[in-house]
Amino acid sequence: MKNKKILKLLGALFAFTLLATACGSSSTDSAGESDGGSDGGSAEASTGLSVAVVAPSASDDVAFTQSMIDSLGRLGVSPQVTDGTFVVEEAAAAIRGFAEDGTDVVVAHGTQYGGSLEEIAPDFPETSFIWGTATDNRGLDNVFAYNPAADQGGYVMGLIAGNIVGGEDIGVVGPVEAGDAVAYINGFALGAEAAGSSTSIVYTGSFSDVALATTTAQAHVDNGVSALTGTSQSAVGAVNIASANELPWFGTQSNTEPWSEDFTVVSQVYHWDVVLAEMFALIEDGTLGGQAFELTLENEGLVLEYNDAFELDADVRAAADEAVAGIISGDIATQ
Amino acid sequence: MERTPLLSMHNITKTFPGVLANDDVSFDVHSGEVHTLLGENGAGKSTLMKILFGLYQPDSGEIRLRGEIAAIDSPTSAIEHRVGMVHQHFMLVPTLTVAENVALGLPSARGFRTDLDAVSERILEISNQYGLAVDPGIEIWKLSVGERQRVEIIKALYRDAELLVLDEPTAVLTPQEVDDLFVILRQMTNDGTGIIFISHKLHEVLELSDRITVLRNGAVTGSTTPAESDRQQLAEMMVGREVKLAPDKPAVDRGPARLQLRNVSVKGDRGTVAVDDVSLDVHAGEIVGIAGVSGNGQRELAETIAGLRNAQGGSVRIDSTDLTNASPAEVRAAGFAYVPEERMKDGAVGEFEVSENLLLINHGDPQFRKGPLFDFAKIRAHSQRLVDQFSVKTPTLDTPTSTLSGGNIQKLIMARELDSSPTVILAAQPTRGVDIGAAEYIHSQLVQQRSDGVAILMVSEDLDEILGLADRIAVMFDGKIVTVIERESATREALGLAMAGG
Amino acid sequence: MSEFFTVSVIFATLSTSIRFAVPYLFAALGETVGQRSGVLNLGVDGIMLLGGFGAYYAVLETDSHILGVIAGLAVGLLMGLVYGVVTVFLHAKQGISGIGIFLFGLGFSDLLFQELVGTPLPIRPLPRLDQLPAVGGIFEPLVELPVVGPLIFDHDLLTFLAFLLVPAVTWLLRKTTFGMNVRAVGENPQAADSLGVSVARTRFISILIGSTLAGLAGATLSMQLAIFQQNLTNGIGFIAVALVYFGAWQPRWVMAGALLYGIVTATRIRWQSLDIIPQGASDVAAMAPAVITILALVLLASRVRGPAALTRPFSRH
Repeated sequence: MKNKKILKLLGALFAFTLLATACGSSSTDSAGESDGGSDGGSAEASTGLSVAVVAPSASDDVAFTQSMIDSLGRLGVSPQVTDGTFVVEEAAAAIRGFAEDGTDVVVAHGTQYGGSLEEIAPDFPETSFIWGTATDNRGLDNVFAYNPAADQGGYVMGLIAGNIVGGEDIGVVGPVEAGDAVAYINGFALGAEAAGSSTSIVYTGSFSDVALATTTAQAHVDNGVSALTGTSQSAVGAVNIASANELPWFGTQSNTEPWSEDFTVVSQVYHWDVVLAEMFALIEDGTLGGQAFELTLENEGLVLEYNDAFELDADVRAAADEAVAGIISGDIATQ
Repeated sequence: MERTPLLSMHNITKTFPGVLANDDVSFDVHSGEVHTLLGENGAGKSTLMKILFGLYQPDSGEIRLRGEIAAIDSPTSAIEHRVGMVHQHFMLVPTLTVAENVALGLPSARGFRTDLDAVSERILEISNQYGLAVDPGIEIWKLSVGERQRVEIIKALYRDAELLVLDEPTAVLTPQEVDDLFVILRQMTNDGTGIIFISHKLHEVLELSDRITVLRNGAVTGSTTPAESDRQQLAEMMVGREVKLAPDKPAVDRGPARLQLRNVSVKGDRGTVAVDDVSLDVHAGEIVGIAGVSGNGQRELAETIAGLRNAQGGSVRIDSTDLTNASPAEVRAAGFAYVPEERMKDGAVGEFEVSENLLLINHGDPQFRKGPLFDFAKIRAHSQRLVDQFSVKTPTLDTPTSTLSGGNIQKLIMARELDSSPTVILAAQPTRGVDIGAAEYIHSQLVQQRSDGVAILMVSEDLDEILGLADRIAVMFDGKIVTVIERESATREALGLAMAGG
Repeated sequence: MSEFFTVSVIFATLSTSIRFAVPYLFAALGETVGQRSGVLNLGVDGIMLLGGFGAYYAVLETDSHILGVIAGLAVGLLMGLVYGVVTVFLHAKQGISGIGIFLFGLGFSDLLFQELVGTPLPIRPLPRLDQLPAVGGIFEPLVELPVVGPLIFDHDLLTFLAFLLVPAVTWLLRKTTFGMNVRAVGENPQAADSLGVSVARTRFISILIGSTLAGLAGATLSMQLAIFQQNLTNGIGFIAVALVYFGAWQPRWVMAGALLYGIVTATRIRWQSLDIIPQGASDVAAMAPAVITILALVLLASRVRGPAALTRPFSRH
């Protein structure tokens, strides 16, 4: 009898720990891994602003979310982070929570959070919300919008890819037909076309399904493609297929060299810090929102990071640099 | 010098919080005899059997098997002591075959692999020996209730049971199946098996038993043999006072047909035909009994008359009003009262207080209103009158109905229904699971209504009840009324044959 | 259009489908045993994540796929012990306990991953038959065979194991005393108990089988993909539970469901890559596998009622 009671108690304790751990790990881990020195939860920016980030995938996804954490790190900001919130309701709760805590700046790092912001932002006029990827701030005075012109880097990388494979097909593994993924992929296709190559584009329908991205890349390989690219954190599956088949890989959002040291040719990296710095300056001067910013090759928010381990022909590289100049000057259209 | 009994239970006492379930009970069974345990619900029969089967431990007393003290602490140890039990609710796995059900829990000759072919062989031997015909390879769900019971008996015999407990084994059987079962049980006792037979059907008890022990309120009130007693005496031993098993029925002239069913056809829950072209009249001043094994369309027919189920064809009339597929309210307005089969599901709301349940069908009545509100004083007076008149035993009028006994809930429902001065009453299984005292009272009320010129249709699986009360008897089988007989010309055998579709 | 119907493309697609189906198959076969005993485990996905991380981490550290498999099995077994104690011995509600296991697996696998690994680094992929150390050479001619080579032999050992488990689980359930006990306690535990079959023990072992296979499913997934990531399974465990239901609790139909799911997935990806399904329809296409698999199983698998005691805790009255 007594034993049973103790067992039940233990069980309840365990169940509680289960839930506590489960909740705990998906919310408010301080992003200790990223650079920037402040300890504990309170985020001290070099700007003096407290910053929080709500993002849909993991902070170290070598893709979308990591690009933001890294960018803030470059500004000397160590934000509070709630990551892994694919579920919009969870993200909305986190955004509201940070605002209620009196955080100066809440970065809502996901297109899908726009609807939530329209509800939340007016309730906290003293808080500045930074939302992307989005091309406009939906008329909200305390919301800044940011968007990468991912098609620009995409175009250049498509051009490089086309020149490497010399007219053969290139496989593209896309997630969902939305946001910067579409911009990147369309730009890439234009660039490849300019180099005389065609692209085969598949959207898996998921940002996170690695198995599906793997299957998709494998299908491309079975179809006989000579290079692969892809975007979103699920792209890791496609990178592995590229490596296994020794095909050139083109990364975007973050530098994908950790995934494929040998076959990553070049990565288009989002340096949000360029536009974030502008926004932080505005916020400190009392402007909490009302503008939209864009990452471009010109403002160096988009940076093409070449992999030194991959030997690129000099004329291919020259053509790429030429295209960058052309895009900046407006001679080349990437959309 | 008396021979050692197969089983002897000495001075068994078992208490549950607030209840003395077994009070110093002693009981024995010899090899080769049928010893019946007789008693009302709650008399302590099942507690005693659960102690024997190792599901309960007695507070005091001992169990001896073949003269030796047996410590039975689980069903498994009961089986090891060669005690078998056929539960009232069969302990069979419907998706497993007969052989698998029999083999369950026993070690296999092949270790980890099953040895169902050997099991099947043994089953066939047993079934040949006792005439328990059954196919070992067939799944249980494909079998009839009677066949399932045979599997239960085979299960016990397969485990070399020398003592077999049968808990209400005839409740689900047709009279013919009961006869077959008794033949089998007799053959088993001839081979030396001891049988404990639990039943409340007095004529069966008298037919089968060698000895009868009667329990009341947890204690043994007497032991007797069929030769030394009769139904009346057994009933009085069970109840502890004089009872009338069959109420006196004064002669009443049969009036005009009040409830008229014409070619009624109804679909059951599974969409198959449940009631098939039934025509029947019930006249003022008569009780028509519908006999039959449950599941032959009685429930669907009753629900159709009560307005709870739609008929696919035919008509239902009370007096001159066509009530085919009418709502329950319309049927009641025509003078109909309904005592449903599932009293806790369709007859009363368990969580409601007694007074609320008494008001259930006439809560809209202006006499209980004060403006838009209930007149609680009047409601209490009304409830108190009904509780007194129908001797419903309840602590207060505010007691939750579900805490009352089955008999008192049934009396409560009867009180509410009969108070509406109906012209037609439909009573389905009015005394099932009800103790003898309450049954006696309910029967007398129905007879009283009959004398008052009410037309009564009574559905019952209990042939004693049908034969005791009905003026005419309709037998239902497979959705059809196969015969309608006047009470005077009805015999138990003829009815049994008709109930089996013969 | 015609491109897809070339034999080589069809067989390449089928081959992909087979590999794709393997984690589903392991998880669903395990869950079949558990559900047959009357225990629903909604935590399969969480156990897969933990098993998947365990295997990934083992391979990352030791480069041994055998240790990866062992890690996946061990993690699954451990989680089964927890779930078994909670549901069988403490009579907790199965639905909510399973969700608890899932959430724990989702959160804890990610936590471990962040703490121990951080950036997802690829591991050495699972070798195919002909790439096996020492014995790989023997299989090379088989893999070279036309059609059947890529279709049947160009797989890793775990793929073979998964499909061999289908008859094995069928045999276990139909032909052994343990399997008979499993079916009995899932259907009428009172009856089994009355004959001395230990309901608790039978269910506990069934849960252990189910969760160990879930751990193996996760291990297979992370080793086949050669990576781990937050929420790597993306709901595979829940689809596996659904496959058990729509496969009418029969291993062969569960296998058919897993295969069909794989085939439809691989086909729609292939059709998209060949522009047979146009861009713009990808959202609709993404729903196709679940919809088609469920429809097909509902229409084809013999409709039997599920185990009657499914999700119902057992205790003697």
